[in-house]
Amino acid sequence: MRFVDEFRSRRLADALRAELAALVEAGRPVRLMEVCGGHTHTIYKHGLTDLVPPEVDFLHGPGCPVCVIPMGRVDDALSLAERPNVLFTTFGDMLRVPGGRGSLLEAKARGADVRMVYSPLDALALARAHPEREVVFFAVGFETTAPSTALTLLRARHEGVSNFSVFCNHVTIAPPLRAILDTPGLAVDGFVAPGHVSAVIGTEPYDFIARDYGKPVVVSAFEPVDILQSVAMLVRQLREGRCEVENQYTRVVRREGNPRALAAMAETMELRETFEWRGLGEIPWSGLRLRDAFAPFDAEARYELPGARVADPKACQCGEVLVGAIKPWQCRVFGTACTPEHPLGTCMVSSEGACAAFHAYGRLQVPA
Amino acid sequence: MILPPPRCMLCGDAAVAARVVRVDGDEGVLEDGETVDLELVDDVGAGDLVLCHAGVALQVLEER
Repeated sequence: MRFVDEFRSRRLADALRAELAALVEAGRPVRLMEVCGGHTHTIYKHGLTDLVPPEVDFLHGPGCPVCVIPMGRVDDALSLAERPNVLFTTFGDMLRVPGGRGSLLEAKARGADVRMVYSPLDALALARAHPEREVVFFAVGFETTAPSTALTLLRARHEGVSNFSVFCNHVTIAPPLRAILDTPGLAVDGFVAPGHVSAVIGTEPYDFIARDYGKPVVVSAFEPVDILQSVAMLVRQLREGRCEVENQYTRVVRREGNPRALAAMAETMELRETFEWRGLGEIPWSGLRLRDAFAPFDAEARYELPGARVADPKACQCGEVLVGAIKPWQCRVFGTACTPEHPLGTCMVSSEGACAAFHAYGRLQVPA
Repeated sequence: MILPPPRCMLCGDAAVAARVVRVDGDEGVLEDGETVDLELVDDVGAGDLVLCHAGVALQVLEER
């Protein structure tokens, strides 16, 4: 398959391994945070931790949108789904995310009309098909996903679909990176930045990391050769004393991103003053809500929501995993009380979550 | 019991490159028969590879 096979080439991977071996200084650790859950998934699925020199340590960042949704917002979604006459639509991964009083899947089992969709446009189609129902879409995701919600809102307004609303939980990638960089004592030498978020926002939003924090950034695609190349680019910057924002994913990512997608987001959404992130707490100007002009389509304006903050289970260490402070297998409940079949924390729910990815592909190789 | 799908549809690696075989207004028909909304990308024609995510094309890929 074009753009897949060539980026899984053993020959290219071997060449990059040799390049990395030559670049890394023996005994000097290089701690790199891959921001996106997609990268985490590839790293474990393809065993990249075994392919890079032992000095290279991957830290798993906050880029799994499912993992960072706080339990209180899941409870808000449950209250919406359980309202009479509501047809609640969600991406599949959110179905199993545990809130304070269960998951959407459990609500569905109790009789709530919860349906999985692959696009918010599908939710809008359901609203058109069921004018007697109130269709609510659970909007979750970073800037990769927000444009599809924005486009759907513009369509809903244009068509005058009055029985459709969005429960907006979209978040932006730069503020949590700043929060991580401001975490006392956190040692990160460089960032593998998310490729598909960057397809929308471009590379400029990462400039502050290089400029203000002196850390190199490489925007990376998601195949194993892509990530090995990005690691080599980061290690080369460190070796040469540079800290720049580089783009490995040139086949997709432009410096300016996608102006049309950004315009659609700007027309429909605005930043919240603060938004709670699981594991990271409240982060100012990090979440998106609908603009007042779209209040008729805003589930938070149309319906009364509990809006309660719900503390994570005490045993759960998702927060520490999400900032790279501990590895998945170092969590006290990893693989015991918390498994993909019965997730306690969100990092075990999504396949992109660091714990689920490690459980699926790496749990037989837990370091001593 | 429902286990996580092999790929999370929300996240980065679920955005996939797909080739457009026909354009019908704002809708592109892909090689596998699926459709994608093309409103957020410029000048897409039959034969172009587009990055698709959540039913929407986000970029046109450069095939150099």
